[in-house]
Amino acid sequence: MNTEAIKELVYKMADDLLILGHRNSEWTGFGPLLEEDIAFSSMAQDKVGQSWQMYKILHELGDSEPDTVAFMRNANQFHNAQFVELPNGEYDFSLIRHFLFDSAALLRYQMLTESSYTPLANLTKKIKGEAKYHSMHAKIWMKQLGSATEESIQRLQNALDEAMPYALGLFEPSPYEAHLIKDKIFAGEEALQILWQKEVESIIEETQLILPDWNSLIPALGGRNGQHTEHLQPLLDEMSEVFKVDPSADW
Amino acid sequence: MLKSLDPRVNRLNIPLEEAAHAQKNKLDQFETYEVFVQTKEDKPFEHVGIVHAPNEEMAFLFAKEQYTRRGMFCISLCVIKTENIRVSDYSENQKDIYDTFEGKYSGKTTYSFEVFHLIKRGKQHKYEGNVQAKNFEDALLAARDTYPRNKPVLNVWVVKSEDIFVSDEEDQDLWDTLQEKKYRDAIDYRAADKIKAFKEKQHEH
Amino acid sequence: MYGGGNVFERMKATALVDEDPRKLAEFEARIERGEKIEPKDWMPQLYRKQLIRMIEQHAHSEIIGALPEGTWITRAPGFKRKLALMAKVQDEVGHAQLLYAAAETLGKSREKMIDDLITGKSKYSNIFNYPAFTWADSCFISWLVDAGAIVNQLANAKGSYGPYCRALERICAEESFHLKYGHHCVIHMATGSKKQREMMQAAINRWWPPMMHFFGPSDTISVHSEILMKWKVKMASNDACRQQFLDMYVPKIWELGLTIPDKNLQKNNETGQWEYTEPDWDEFKRVINGDGPCNKERLAVRRTAEERGRWVREALLAPKTKYITPLA
Ligand SMILES: [Fe+2]
Ligand SMILES: [Fe+2]
Ligand SMILES: [Fe+2]
Repeated sequence: MNTEAIKELVYKMADDLLILGHRNSEWTGFGPLLEEDIAFSSMAQDKVGQSWQMYKILHELGDSEPDTVAFMRNANQFHNAQFVELPNGEYDFSLIRHFLFDSAALLRYQMLTESSYTPLANLTKKIKGEAKYHSMHAKIWMKQLGSATEESIQRLQNALDEAMPYALGLFEPSPYEAHLIKDKIFAGEEALQILWQKEVESIIEETQLILPDWNSLIPALGGRNGQHTEHLQPLLDEMSEVFKVDPSADW
Repeated sequence: MLKSLDPRVNRLNIPLEEAAHAQKNKLDQFETYEVFVQTKEDKPFEHVGIVHAPNEEMAFLFAKEQYTRRGMFCISLCVIKTENIRVSDYSENQKDIYDTFEGKYSGKTTYSFEVFHLIKRGKQHKYEGNVQAKNFEDALLAARDTYPRNKPVLNVWVVKSEDIFVSDEEDQDLWDTLQEKKYRDAIDYRAADKIKAFKEKQHEH
Repeated sequence: MYGGGNVFERMKATALVDEDPRKLAEFEARIERGEKIEPKDWMPQLYRKQLIRMIEQHAHSEIIGALPEGTWITRAPGFKRKLALMAKVQDEVGHAQLLYAAAETLGKSREKMIDDLITGKSKYSNIFNYPAFTWADSCFISWLVDAGAIVNQLANAKGSYGPYCRALERICAEESFHLKYGHHCVIHMATGSKKQREMMQAAINRWWPPMMHFFGPSDTISVHSEILMKWKVKMASNDACRQQFLDMYVPKIWELGLTIPDKNLQKNNETGQWEYTEPDWDEFKRVINGDGPCNKERLAVRRTAEERGRWVREALLAPKTKYITPLA
């Protein structure tokens, strides 16, 4: 097995989940209705919980403890796509991001259940039920708000236009694509992106939203290499504020 | 802008005027859905509460997290719009409400109905079974004639089968959960050892 | 979570005059027998009114109670704390949902209740008008404010109204997680580094006075409170709840080597009662009437959440008119 290739894959998944889970948790108590507040919080917890499991896999591979890895790195050491670090905005942007991210996550997990790397195959089998709910939640909301009032349609459209180039950053190819594919660890970002685009098209079609032309979009790349927007470092500083008071303490 | 100790609140950028302004312009009340949960294969669906939702799909989404987010206690979930449930009167404890129904069951099978019983005041309604009848009144009579009543039934809910939105068999994996979800449970927070060690250390000093 | 010292409706001397005496007697006999009242049962107007007010205040306390601890939701140290705090605050929002639902069965819509909250017409537990300065404050809240709430909630769960009791049963089950989680946090702080201990002690010093206010002032004995007790709306006196809380938790705080900022606090072994410095009830009144450190912020946040969520709710309520492109 190519450990470097596996690590690259797991790091980017874990970092995506941690950062987006963190962002989504900001909604707790501020949601547009009580029931949705609860549902959104559950999905944020699922994401943070999933990232924790992935950092445990990395720990098994020789890296530091999950808490250290998550709370002590700087922005340039994070491999998440820039998409997940963007501020929440209003519910329109948060919802669109949830839809675009979670439909990709579910497909990714489905692909990984077949992975030749057993820890990842086992984990994705366990969490695909969660991912299924997330994607179901996103779809139902998109269909609702994407064809309801003039305001909701316009808001979602604006959010979609803003989000799309960043969402494509999720599929930024890794230097190890060929290895991962050959060793049947992961079928690759390109394959995933093709499935994802089809999925996104089929949902958007059921709404009054208009999908931008895929070819016209310039993907926001760099996140996988530690290049981030100005939003990530403050997020990390905030997340680790207490932890860093005494990193050796048992909180 | 409102300044808060909560960084999330600061990011909401709440102007001080907005903070002073009040009132929901319109009371945007959704319909309510009654939620029922099945905890084990051999246990009936039991009423757990309501959610507010604009339709049954969303009611299901909401109910899943409001009532079954501690996943291990659910294998199936259903939601029913409150207005679709016909509610009988409540009787006193020890008196069977069915005894107050008059009339003869038609025997017709026009519609299929699902029946829920309340056995004790303060407890939850539980699923009893399915009857065929021509309308709600008739369904109550059918239920009266169908079910054995070892214990008096205090209250009956009847709903057309087609008005029930229930999770599919294949969706059982929605409640699969990681072992690590224990962080939601009290049992995951034992710390007696720490207190003991602390006391011993204090004693030494 | 929830505080005692409910603000009950003032009862007019004539409140029960218009009720049918036969029905009233049946109603009271049912409560006397220990049976629950269910939504469709006959009940005196006063009972309905007081229950709505009490359950509504309780629901508001849960949703507003999510805010002080929410202050630390993005900063919880480590995975386990991060997940637990998210789940804990989420539970509080869930409690609000359950309680609003119980109050709704009495005939007041949820949106009307929320409206009364954000316009300042309804009250919520006073303690949430205080700020959570550090992580240790959130630990204090999770453990001890919730502990206080549990004392109240366990008492109320034995009340007479079926839907409220059922909601409380679910809530109390979750509160046991809150309590253990909070205790776990405080234990780690108190037995941890010097810095952690100092943080924890400072939080206790800040939160003790509002904690003593939490259960409300001593009840004045009146016909009014006697009826509420008889109808099992009010289940225990404010002082009894406060005593129970002190009895259960003061020793647990002391065993961690932490101190409580009240020189007079001690248990009188003859009476079995805790003695303490009388809380400053003027401050309590001042804060409950809007002049606390965070009243404005709490309501502003709630209002903003409502305001900014409006377009979402409107869209969900809109009739589904999917636009179909004309065929020819
Ligand atoms: Fe609470
Ligand atoms: Fe609580
Ligand atoms: Fe609570």
